[in-house]
Amino acid sequence: MSSNDFADRLSIAVARHIGSPGTVHDLQRLTGGANKTTWSFDAIVDGARQPFILQLASTRVIDESNPVAAASPHLTAEEDARLMIAAVKANVPAPRVRAILEPADGLGAGYVTERVAGETLATRILREERYASARASMATQCGTILAAIHRIPLSEVPFLKLLEPAEHVAVQRMIADYHGFRLPALELGLRWATEHAPKKVRRTVVHGDFRAGNFIVGEDGIRCVLDWEIGQSGDPMQDLGWVCVKTWRFGGKKPVGGFGTREDLFAAYEKAGGYSVDPGHVRFWEAHGSVKWAIGCLSLGTRGVEENGIERCAIGRRIEEPLWDFLNLIEGRD
Amino acid sequence: MPKSMPDAATMLKAAIKYLEEELMPTLEGYHRFQTRVTVNVLSTVGRELELRDGQAQSERARLVELVGHEGDAEALSRELAERIRSGAIALDDPALRAHVRQSLADALAINNPKWVTR
Repeated sequence: MSSNDFADRLSIAVARHIGSPGTVHDLQRLTGGANKTTWSFDAIVDGARQPFILQLASTRVIDESNPVAAASPHLTAEEDARLMIAAVKANVPAPRVRAILEPADGLGAGYVTERVAGETLATRILREERYASARASMATQCGTILAAIHRIPLSEVPFLKLLEPAEHVAVQRMIADYHGFRLPALELGLRWATEHAPKKVRRTVVHGDFRAGNFIVGEDGIRCVLDWEIGQSGDPMQDLGWVCVKTWRFGGKKPVGGFGTREDLFAAYEKAGGYSVDPGHVRFWEAHGSVKWAIGCLSLGTRGVEENGIERCAIGRRIEEPLWDFLNLIEGRD
Repeated sequence: MPKSMPDAATMLKAAIKYLEEELMPTLEGYHRFQTRVTVNVLSTVGRELELRDGQAQSERARLVELVGHEGDAEALSRELAERIRSGAIALDDPALRAHVRQSLADALAINNPKWVTR
């Protein structure tokens, strides 16, 4: 498909789903990940120029015989969009979906959302002076937003895969085995997680990747929570732990995303109608998240030079960072 | 094999110095970022050349002590990993914890020395 052809098809899709004439301006590819490609564009709709984001699912066929791909939760583009629609309805600042693409659009699977202005780069949000007052309120905001996410009725998103804590650990075990990783530090982490996985947990919607880097932030704080594609159902405390994993503090000193305290996060979560928080329970997920990211580093970094490139090589060498954090966490040295 | 001069560490330093001090300032965007990552990767290689022999010796000594017999470090490490997995060694075994902590600290001294101090 030529780029003109692509823009023309997008215009027609915008006109069909959102409003006429749908003329597309300033179409730019932002990122191309393994699972999806993100485009930014403006379109003329009902006499006004409006900002949009287009997400297209990658056309790469997922290898179903690969047990790792089959076991990890991953939503289709349509499910991803339906989850965001349910989130917005529950007062979560998620992207507003304006169109779910159909085969007739000729663009592949994907969706169009409204584009929210702001910064996503965590290092800038943590360091730049103009975000100082945003930083002061973001842990509280995270608590309020998570309480809202965990209240989304499961009946509205029945496609979400249920993953119990023990199943999360089993998925990581499987990935480590699939790649043949046999490291004492990693085995320590996996066995600890197996032995400490909470048994009796609630079942709610879980975002799955709620962390700094997936927030659009303005001077007023978090404006939008992105990346819903590994949404799942399970233990809500998982999201509270993941946002505290040290890797997602991007060098910031404070435990919640580098910008806030656990006390602010938990208090806001409970106050906004979330479940009562047991810090030890959240700590399990923070420790589990560190082991999970260590395995992620290895999986990303050991695919060989052809597929890897220099950046992936560097990620492979980050495996000890989360394992070091894990050891400090379980020994109370964090 | 006679040792050629300059040695590997010196050549690596020269390459890093060129990339960082001469090439990087002329770049922006994608290539500036990739070159920054390349400098970091080459610096890691430099620290590995410098530290690995000493680290490998003491790692093997710790593993022989923990596993209870001789062997090469990689095989001993796999054996220890299997013992952790099977439950043959307690997770809070002080010698195990000390070994794992030292191994991670050694690896971080090569891969990202700043991580330990922050």
